[in-house]
Amino acid sequence: MSFLLSCPFCGPRPVDEYAYFGEVTKRPGPSPTLRELTDYVYFRDNVAGVQREWWQHRSGCGEWFLAERDTRTNEVLEVILPEPGRNSPA
Amino acid sequence: MRLEPRSGERIDRSKPVSFSFAGWKVAGFEGDTLGSAAFAAGKRVFSRSFKYHRPRGLLCCSGHCPNCLMTVDGVPNVRVCTEPIREGAVVEGQNVRWSLDFDFMSVTDKVGGPFTPVGFYYRTFIRPRRLWPFYEKFLRSAAGLGELDEHAGYSRRYDTEHRKARVLVVGGGPAGRAAALAAAASGDGVVLVDEDASLNGMQLDGVEVLAPARALGIWEGGLVPVDAGTVLYRFRAARIIVATGAIEQPLVFPGNDLIGVMLPGGVRRLVNDFSIKPGNRAIVVAADDEGFEVADDLSEAGVAVPRVIDLRETRPRELVAQGGKGRVRRLVVDGESFDCDLLVASGGRQPAYSLLAQAGARIEFDSELGVFVPTELPSGVEAVGSVTGDGLGKVDPEPAYGGKGKCFVCVCEDVTTKDMKRAIAEGFDSIELAKRYTTTTMGPCQGKLCHLPSIRLYSKETRVYEAAIGTTTARPPWAPVELGLLAGRELTPARRTSMHWSHAEAGATIQWAGPWKRPYAYGEKPEDEVRAVHESLGVIDVSTLGKLFVEGPEAVALLERLYPNRFGDMKSGRIRYGVLTSDAGRIMDDGTIARLADDLYYVTTTSTGADAVTAWFEWWNAVWGYEAEIVNVTGAIAAVNLAGPQSRDALQRLTEADVSAEAFKYLDAQEIDVAGVPTLALRIGFVGELGYELHFPSPAGEYLWGQLVAEGARPFGLEPQRILRLEKGHVIVGQDTDSESNLYSAGMSWLPKLDKDDFVGKYALEHFAEREEKERLVGFTMEEDVLPAEGAQIVVEGFPAGRVTSARRSEAVGSVIGLAWVPTDRAKNGTRVEIRVDRLLRGARVTHGAFFDSAGQRMRS
Amino acid sequence: MSRAFLSPSRCDAGTLTSPLRRALEGANSAAVRDLSLEGVVEIRGDSDLVEVAEGEDLVRLSPQRGYIFTDGDPADVAERLRAGGVLAYDATGALAGMAIESEQVVRRLTDLDLDELPTSGPFAHVTAIVRRADDGWVEVYVQQEYGHYVAEAVVDALTGLDTSRGLTRGQTPDVSDPDGSPA
Repeated sequence: MSFLLSCPFCGPRPVDEYAYFGEVTKRPGPSPTLRELTDYVYFRDNVAGVQREWWQHRSGCGEWFLAERDTRTNEVLEVILPEPGRNSPA
Repeated sequence: MRLEPRSGERIDRSKPVSFSFAGWKVAGFEGDTLGSAAFAAGKRVFSRSFKYHRPRGLLCCSGHCPNCLMTVDGVPNVRVCTEPIREGAVVEGQNVRWSLDFDFMSVTDKVGGPFTPVGFYYRTFIRPRRLWPFYEKFLRSAAGLGELDEHAGYSRRYDTEHRKARVLVVGGGPAGRAAALAAAASGDGVVLVDEDASLNGMQLDGVEVLAPARALGIWEGGLVPVDAGTVLYRFRAARIIVATGAIEQPLVFPGNDLIGVMLPGGVRRLVNDFSIKPGNRAIVVAADDEGFEVADDLSEAGVAVPRVIDLRETRPRELVAQGGKGRVRRLVVDGESFDCDLLVASGGRQPAYSLLAQAGARIEFDSELGVFVPTELPSGVEAVGSVTGDGLGKVDPEPAYGGKGKCFVCVCEDVTTKDMKRAIAEGFDSIELAKRYTTTTMGPCQGKLCHLPSIRLYSKETRVYEAAIGTTTARPPWAPVELGLLAGRELTPARRTSMHWSHAEAGATIQWAGPWKRPYAYGEKPEDEVRAVHESLGVIDVSTLGKLFVEGPEAVALLERLYPNRFGDMKSGRIRYGVLTSDAGRIMDDGTIARLADDLYYVTTTSTGADAVTAWFEWWNAVWGYEAEIVNVTGAIAAVNLAGPQSRDALQRLTEADVSAEAFKYLDAQEIDVAGVPTLALRIGFVGELGYELHFPSPAGEYLWGQLVAEGARPFGLEPQRILRLEKGHVIVGQDTDSESNLYSAGMSWLPKLDKDDFVGKYALEHFAEREEKERLVGFTMEEDVLPAEGAQIVVEGFPAGRVTSARRSEAVGSVIGLAWVPTDRAKNGTRVEIRVDRLLRGARVTHGAFFDSAGQRMRS
Repeated sequence: MSRAFLSPSRCDAGTLTSPLRRALEGANSAAVRDLSLEGVVEIRGDSDLVEVAEGEDLVRLSPQRGYIFTDGDPADVAERLRAGGVLAYDATGALAGMAIESEQVVRRLTDLDLDELPTSGPFAHVTAIVRRADDGWVEVYVQQEYGHYVAEAVVDALTGLDTSRGLTRGQTPDVSDPDGSPA
């Protein structure tokens, strides 16, 4: 893999500069059932298509951001800055 | 034999160069290649074939085929036909027993027949199994290419260089040069690479020419590694223009590998570039116009060309090259015989599309041309010239001509038409499977000369059109490359603390500890260092601890949500032990958290955890957005642990601050000046004795270390520290815990505050709190003086039921102690368990709490 | 809380050592220079609030992160910046820095675009801040714990430039390579 990913601050860089943190998930609210908790902790949609995922420019500026990436082609359609909130999807 | 000087020749006859070729002294001229000089000197055998050890000579003379792979100055598999001549070079044959001209192993060619068909080895040498090592050794030495000297080290230095190009042109033929010039007209940053050494120094307006150099592949993001011999250029190109041309294809007929059977391009190179008369009497057989231009060159060089056979006009059924001693003597065409010592045979030209295919182009069979052409190029990648099929005429030779004798489809791997037919008959009816079974196209040429012939033959035998068969996958590298060049320089990042050289100069044994280089111990006996800490004073470099500031009005809220612990009730100047858990409830890391001010916390992590914990904190805060900053100050701050009963007195001698037991209590944090260095002192006790962690500016590391040693502190390393912490039953996250461990099973059920609104891991821990853990992390004391290995089995009723994670011999406790995961019903204090030590079961007692000073009086004193 | 324990400039004179001292011992000072003890301040927060004084150079990595390289006392600079509304930390001790004359040496260790400086990215597989000095030299800053390793890599690349300059395929430099095999 050598595709370029655009950091919102540093511009396009080789993908190995980044840390990948998986698809965006929805953290359950207080007192989830074991099933809800397990779904959140262990299960992923793993789509063949466009997914929203977390990246960090680990070897660069260090900032976290979100990317919309087509998992079939590695085409990155958009990079987005996170909009934090105390109950945001993680 | 050299011709009279001619215009356009590349050799400089005023500059003779000599070298050794298979033991013979050979002279050539500057401008020659090793291969052309040897050929001019009358050398004809350059190699022995992979399997049958048949003698082989120059075939393509352009660096594509395997026939001239030789060992040059100890470097194996050098294509001498393109390798520039150099004085004193030592060129040797490969894969031979005795000599190139007389190879004992060529008996495999004579016996041949039933013993060497495709798949023979797999089927024949499979039984008896115990003999396989013997067979393997024999087979490996009987077949193959050059040999690496495993102990030789690097024969030369390889470097990697990163380059960028606006336009990168691969191929310096007419189309490539024109494209490069056109690109250069609209700006700079145009680079052209070509494997032909004669392009070195070529002047192209505004174009940087790299030659001889090979583009090895095209990866995503316009990444093109270019092999320039001792430097690998990693190009990132915004636009890539592929002008790799087309490659002449051999004809498939019996005897087609005899020495003297050559491709037209190779012959023309010998004549025109090196002024060599390649034979006396030549026959030309070709399937396209390009093939016939060689006839004029040969005539001009004084070579008789009694016969030219145009395969578009005549379609012979039988075409056989015959010879003696491996050299061609005559060509027999449908019974008619023509004497010759040079047979120029070409099956047309196939576009060299591999780089385009790697980049993502589709490769389709063009039935108009009879070859494969690239289509649907990916964005940023263009193709010009004959690689697109432009300028090629239709070629349609027989896939294989009949006649008696071995008829090679793939000269690299010695695959014959018989092997291919046999593979198809055995049911390998997909080209990808047939390729793997016969290994056709899998040799050094990587299909450059055998891919099209293989598919033509396959199509004929299976009666499936080429277009439906398609191609096999083109993978990088496009040309053979030395592994040393891919490896480049040895670059293994190592972290060293600012006191590293003090340790090294004190004779410490330095070892890798995660990404760090750390002292294992300073002397032969780690137990001496342990004793110093228990009895007097020791000092250890703990700069490797991860160190983070968490600062801001919501710092406490962020930490409360990251840790199961509570921090809001901590006073400034106090310290608390904390463990990080994931949302799966698993233990991730541990460390101390010191509150330095209302809005400022100083967090330490494990030595390997700093980067991961920082990223983890920052990620959660990217989710939540607390008004707090996380700053990794690991490198900025050096740290030592000054420990032992004399540590307070020693510290007091170096500071004017009051560090008495009353003024500086256990788990206090204070900013003090130590020997002129501003220091954050933390009174904590990982090693179980009275002690202080001193955190101070990194560049003062060597100085302050020296001051502490001068005060009588004995340096101790990682190993003594491991013994000391084990005596206290302190857990090392990652050593004693793994990705399955949680706070309850690891014996820290006191730590999580489940009444907090939320924290990472809370939901899982709520579930864990209600269930019975299957196993527990406990201490154990061996009944005898034997040391279990880390990972040793805990055995219950004859079955493995747990494992040892740490074990050491402790002088202070007087026995072997350790930590282990045991089944919950064996976890009670005093329970006897059995541990497998060197195959024997040895008894041990489960021991709760610290093994040494269990009340913790020493570290609180 | 003074945070002085971050600041080398608050230590007594004669107590400081550069992390590159051993690696650059004997290195050609006309090719590489040690910048490790020169003042650097790490900034968090809105960098628009940062007022850059004379003798200071602000390198922004993102709107929230940056570094100030200063000729002055970094501890004082950090205090001034804090008063201005951002968080600032003396990073002098955190970073090992070196100035390198040869751009080609730099390109042998990083694929960063040297026309787009300053920036941060991998250098010899380690995260670095790379900027260009007024005299055209390239300045590379890495975490000090990697300093010795990176400086060794730079010295090695300088050696490589001397031995493989102008060499092409088929020409073998006549150098034995004592460090060629992995340690």
